[in-house]
Order: sequence, then C-alpha cells, then structure tokens
Amino acid sequence: MRKGLIIVGVVVLVFLVAFISQYNSLVTLETNVDARWAQVENQLQRRADLIPNLVNTVKGYASHEERVFSEIAAARSRLLAAGDPGARMEANNSLDAALGRLLAIAESYPELKADASFIRLQDELAGTENRIAVERMRYNESVETWNRAIRRFPTVIFAGLLGKGARPYFQAAEGAREVPQVQF
Amino acid sequence: MQKAFHRRFLIVILLLLATASCFAALPRPVGYVNDFANVIGRDHRQQMEDVATSLKDEHGVELAVVTIRTAAPLTPKDYATQLFNEWGIGGPEDSGLLILLSVDDREIQVEVGYGLEGVLPDGKVGAILDQAVVPHLAKGEYGQGLLAGAKVFKGELAGEHYELGRREDDWLVAFIIFILIAVIVTYLYRRQEPKGPGGTVHRPRPVRVPRFPHGGGGGFGGFGGGRSGGGGAGRKF
Repeated sequence: MRKGLIIVGVVVLVFLVAFISQYNSLVTLETNVDARWAQVENQLQRRADLIPNLVNTVKGYASHEERVFSEIAAARSRLLAAGDPGARMEANNSLDAALGRLLAIAESYPELKADASFIRLQDELAGTENRIAVERMRYNESVETWNRAIRRFPTVIFAGLLGKGARPYFQAAEGAREVPQVQF
Repeated sequence: MQKAFHRRFLIVILLLLATASCFAALPRPVGYVNDFANVIGRDHRQQMEDVATSLKDEHGVELAVVTIRTAAPLTPKDYATQLFNEWGIGGPEDSGLLILLSVDDREIQVEVGYGLEGVLPDGKVGAILDQAVVPHLAKGEYGQGLLAGAKVFKGELAGEHYELGRREDDWLVAFIIFILIAVIVTYLYRRQEPKGPGGTVHRPRPVRVPRFPHGGGGGFGGFGGGRSGGGGAGRKF
C-alpha cells in the first residue's frame, strides 16, 4: 500500500519535472520569437517615419506625380493601422511596391537625384531596408526554431495542452529585396 | 600503433576543419586592416592600423577595414552584415564599424554597429562616402580612399566613449568564484583526512583558465563581440 503510494508519487514527480522543463523551454522560445518580431516592428516603424520626409522632398521637384504620393500615403496608413503580424506584413509589402515606384520616378528628375537631402533620405531608406531584411531573417530563424520545437515529441503534447500553435514566417514580396542604391 | 593513432587524429582534425570551413565561408580577421584583395600599400595600411588603434584606445570603438575581390554569391551589403556579426566587431555596447571594399564589385559598404547608429546615421555615412572616399576609389586609389574614410569617421566619433572591457570582467568574476570554490573544496577535503606524519598533503592544482580569443590568428586578439543589424550605407564607384 505504502509502496504503491511512493511509486505513484515518483511518477507524478517525474511528470511534474518534465512538464516544468518543457514549459520553461517553450516560454524561452516564444519570448524569443516575440522579441524578434518587436525588432521587425521597430524597423517598419522607422521606415514609416521616414516616408513623409522623403515624399515631401520628391514633391518639391515632381509635384504633379500625385498618384504615387497618394498610393504611398494609403499604404503607409494601412501599415500603421494593421494590428496583427499577418496584416502588417501584407501592408508592408504593398508599401514596398509603392516606394519602388516613388524611387523610379526620381530617376527621371536629375535635379532631385542630386539634392543633398534626397540623397540623405535615400541612404536612410536603403539602410532601413537593410535593417528590415536583417531583422526579418532573424525573426524567421526564431520562428523556425519555435515551429520545429512545438512539432517534436513530446513537446507537441505540451504545446497542444497550452494551446500554442505555429507562428507565421515573414515572407518578402517579390522584388522587395532590391534595395534602392544611390549611384553616381 | 602510435603512427596509426596519429594518422587517425590528423584525419579527425582535418574533418573538423573541413566542416568548420563549410559552415562559414567567411575569412578570419588578421588585424584591424584585412587587405584580402591586396590593394592597400604598406604606408596606408600602417596609418589605418594607427587610426584603428587610437579609436579603440581613446573612444572604445573597434574599426575593421576589409578588402575582398568579390562578395559573390552574396551582395556586398549582406556580406558586410554577416562578416560584422561573425567577427563581432565592437564591444559589449556594439560600438563597431566595418568598412568593406569589394574591389571587383566596385562597391564600398560601411556597416555600423547598433551602438554607433546614433552618431553615424546612414545619411551621414553616405555623405562621408561621397565626399571623402568615393572620389579616391573612382581613381583607383583604394588605400588612400579607405584611409581618408577611416580618418573622417574617427573625427565624427571625437566626443564618444564606449566600454569595451565587460568580457574581461566576466572572466575575472568567473576566475574568482572558481578559486573560492577550489579553496572551499580543498579545505573540506583536508579536514576529513586523518592527520599524521604520513598523511599526504593535498594542494589545489594550479588553476588555468582557458581563454578563447574571438578572432584568433597572427597574434591578433580578436574583436569584442559587437553586433549590427544592417545599418550604414554603401556606394558603387
């Protein structure tokens, strides 16, 4: 009788220890994914902040390109309004496309291309694109680790009990990786 | 017998080296100036080393100048970001700066560590490249251009100071704790021993703390573990 109690106790203890260590490692991994995503958000925000300045500078030389300006404004406010990561990624990709068109316009205005503040803003923008790419890669790596961890046995059981699911990857839009370059 | 063992040992080492080199195709740092493309003259190289040394001593900033023939299959920017983080340029405050010249790609990239992004925003880095560096590079004066850039960056960092030494402190703390534990263990151990003229005296063995320099190679101590996130600017020339 007493022996049985001890065995049950040991088994419960083993499960408890296993559960705690599983739980803690899941928390670590999930925190990592969240922290990485926060870094991505930082950089997306940074770019959204740069855009009004850039648009104003371009307007000074090419005021009649209204369509591109309104496209950018719309994409930017969609990005700022988007709540969850999925919607933000999508809004970001359409902002990428609109920005590409804005910079293509600049190509046909030589005075704009030579403007010191335009060059500076383009550098800032290119740097921010690079930062987004780096943070996106790091985010995707952490998501990969997370998604792999929660599919493995026995973690899959604990993850299921805790209601933890797979996280989405941040995929770049086609051509978004083409960072604007300042050329001379 | 011993020969066979040696050979096996050698094979294991070679295999390890091979996997290590597959893992990272990036070169190891040989100093502050890493002229892998062989385009910098001795004078310029020496002056750049001096600039880098004084940057480190006076401002706590680590500067690495690297020349390569090509970054392929990566873009020079991606190469710079990877190299920066692989080498760990900059101290615990991420105060590192990498100037990468990719000769055949005809491109220069400056990668700024997280800690220096405030002093050296991308726009400023781009302007410095335009004014001080690219004119030289366009004429093929690579050493001159890189040196001019290094000097301007040093000027921009004049009022700054960053900590570099935290890693050493960690080692010191670990060392002290280790010694303490060793002393306590020895003390307890000795107390249990029967005392007598024939008893052996246990002394603590001399403690050697292994050091793993981050960079290694050629007497260069390596960089301080700084990180970057893709900041900086680049130019084609």
